[in-house]
Amino acid sequence: MARVDIQNLKKVFPAPQKGGDPVVAIEDISLEVDGNVFVSVVGPSGCGKSTLLNILSGVETPSGGTVSVKEGDRPARLGYVFQDARLLPWRTVMDNMLYVRDDDGKTAQSSAERYLEMVGLNHTGEMFPGQLSGGMQQRVGIARAFSVEPDLLLMDEPFSHLDAITARSLRDHLQVLWTATRKTVLFVTHDVVEAVQLSDRIIVLAPGGRIFDDIAIGLEHPRRAADPKVATLQAEILGRFEEMHPSGTANLENLV
Amino acid sequence: MSSSSTTLAPPVVGQGRVRQFLVTPIGAQLTAIVVFIILWQLVTVIAPRVPGPVSVAQFLWVELSGGSHGGVVRGQFWQHFAHTLRHFSLGLLIGFVPGLLVGVLIGSSRIAQALLNDTVLVLLTLPAFVWAFLTTMWFGISWQAPVLTVAFASFPFVTINVAQGVRSITPELKNMSRAFDVPRSRQFRHLTIAAVTGYIFAGLRFAIIIGWNGILLSEWFSGQAGVGFRTRYWFDANRYRGFVGWVIVFIVFIVVLDRLILNRLQTRAFRWRDPNAADAEQVKLEQVGG
Repeated sequence: MARVDIQNLKKVFPAPQKGGDPVVAIEDISLEVDGNVFVSVVGPSGCGKSTLLNILSGVETPSGGTVSVKEGDRPARLGYVFQDARLLPWRTVMDNMLYVRDDDGKTAQSSAERYLEMVGLNHTGEMFPGQLSGGMQQRVGIARAFSVEPDLLLMDEPFSHLDAITARSLRDHLQVLWTATRKTVLFVTHDVVEAVQLSDRIIVLAPGGRIFDDIAIGLEHPRRAADPKVATLQAEILGRFEEMHPSGTANLENLV
Repeated sequence: MSSSSTTLAPPVVGQGRVRQFLVTPIGAQLTAIVVFIILWQLVTVIAPRVPGPVSVAQFLWVELSGGSHGGVVRGQFWQHFAHTLRHFSLGLLIGFVPGLLVGVLIGSSRIAQALLNDTVLVLLTLPAFVWAFLTTMWFGISWQAPVLTVAFASFPFVTINVAQGVRSITPELKNMSRAFDVPRSRQFRHLTIAAVTGYIFAGLRFAIIIGWNGILLSEWFSGQAGVGFRTRYWFDANRYRGFVGWVIVFIVFIVVLDRLILNRLQTRAFRWRDPNAADAEQVKLEQVGG
């Protein structure tokens, strides 16, 4: 169970072209996440969602502010699920699972097999990623992230590259895994419907990289997408999104 | 609706077996060899100066067994073959090690790519005989000329393939390794080395084939021993069955080496991207609802 403490986080990227302006990805974010919760970060493209995860994982460094990800007094162990599976194509599925673990040997192998089984991919250990479909590769990516027994699991739009049916199936696999393990999860998505189905809390980021809203979802896990309670909440939160983007609504009304 | 019956002709057992044999890889290859030998024999009827397969086989037997070719000249197959193999191995090593290093450099650095890539491409387009001529001009009749011909001819093939292998390690895979805090030693083994291995085998395979051509030419021009030298010896002596015999040795060696070792090593190293295996497994998984 990790504790994430972000205070006045700022991230500015250098200008992409000579003489241009620097790009402010995150203007000012302060956020605390504590406990076995599933938190979604939602927002339109370019609002700094992925940058936030990259800073938490250490891939990017902040331009200002402080970030702390701890498990008790020690740095938290992280797991990461990316937009694409990011498996080593020249290694088997099992080798990919073991690649990210601290230990190897029988314990690691049986743990990897257990997580593969939880995402419905038992008996694929000796196959290469190229022999699996995109959805199956992403399931391996999810199993890999859970198998490192992370204190904090970071997920960066993991279903955005998949078709709707595969994405729906993977959301169900994710709920099964999360309900069994109850890890602290920070899940980035641009899909409000997905966020409501999966999360205990939704952080809405506005363009320019600041927090627009922080919404608690008090529904039991696991949830079905077609559940009326889920659908009602989805409609309510989409309504708040329209407050953030009034011009989009106005254009639609003009069309009607 | 009327029904009709069809009487099928019974299969001809002999024809079926022949057809089955012809479609196997070994059957097809053996058949091709037999057809080639028959055609070769027919050519000798039309052009009597062309040595026939039996005459060449007799020559090769004497050369291999160390028997007499008539007079004091005796068969010297193993001495010359071993001489060429020694020089070939040394040349390949001299071409391979810098090829590997420059390949890693070009694959991992934009500056190195900008500086060296075109030069390597130019080297790649130079035929092996150019190196054979140049090294003979530089070193005269010496052991250096064949060794360096192999080194120069093999270097660009190793370089280009290794560079391609290094480029296949995407920033996304590096970021993934960093996000999971994978130790550097494990990254080197499973990310860098594993990505490049297949490309090294591919480069080595081409390097061996091109280098082998180069050493024949170089020994022909400047060698004092070796396969190329011996081939020229029989050519100069107007003993065409000797010349053809050694050309066959030269070809058979590289074909057997490629089929039995190099091709298999490359296929094994690249088995992760074998599309046929992928299709077969994909179908299997979809059938079980994967």
